[in-house]
Amino acid sequence: MELREFLAEDAIQLDLKGESKDEVLKELIGLLGVDEKSQGILFKMLKRRENLGSTGIGKGIAIPHCRSLVVNRLRVAFGRKPGGVDFRAIDEQPVHNFFLIVAPPLEVSNQYLPVLGRIAQFAKEPDVAARLGQLGQPGDFLDLLAEKGV
Amino acid sequence: MMHAQLEALLEIQDLKSQRRELARETEREVQETVFNLSVDDALEELDAKIAEMEEALDPPVRARYRRMAGKHPRVVVPVIRGTCYGCFVAVPTAQASQADRNAEIRSCQNCGRFLYHVD
Repeated sequence: MELREFLAEDAIQLDLKGESKDEVLKELIGLLGVDEKSQGILFKMLKRRENLGSTGIGKGIAIPHCRSLVVNRLRVAFGRKPGGVDFRAIDEQPVHNFFLIVAPPLEVSNQYLPVLGRIAQFAKEPDVAARLGQLGQPGDFLDLLAEKGV
Repeated sequence: MMHAQLEALLEIQDLKSQRRELARETEREVQETVFNLSVDDALEELDAKIAEMEEALDPPVRARYRRMAGKHPRVVVPVIRGTCYGCFVAVPTAQASQADRNAEIRSCQNCGRFLYHVD
């Protein structure tokens, strides 16, 4: 299983415009290409998860995630906000890099947790935060994933 | 256009899925170690929210919902490629092919679960 299987190049945005947590979440959801109503439901679910505790894991990285009936397969999106936004992360630092994961409740291959774990592991590698900051285009992000064997 | 009560049912189902997953040992471990989440507190919060949303359903929908919840752990199920993913029986073609399929609350004629058309 490789992360790239769930991540289309058009689901990568290296210049997020949002200036707040909510705006960034909406922008990330928009990368999935689902209809407007589904976007609204995903936003509510992601907000509910964030209200339980921030998914900002430190080092400028957050992994917002949820399961919802509005998607029929596991989807991943990546967004980068050069200036960072306040995401109430564990280390209380602004978040620059966002990995969005959404999956249906009935996911036959049950890859949701392994994908979550892989992203968390990838994010914790010492050079990753700096490398994400240097990405020039979406393809570079896919190349980085390949280089790291994610 | 989606029926407001169907949207509420969908949200309740998603919250119940989230709760069920969070209660599993493997997910609990990930949430605690990666996100520093207090899972027991999160479960309590989710229970309270689910109960609040169930109470807010229109009485006839709530009655149907409770009847179904007594029979099935998942009360709202997706229809994917014309198949009810609760009982895996095909839903009538006329219903499955309507453009505005989620504008009304519909149930599977075979298992009775509420249907949400994904594709």
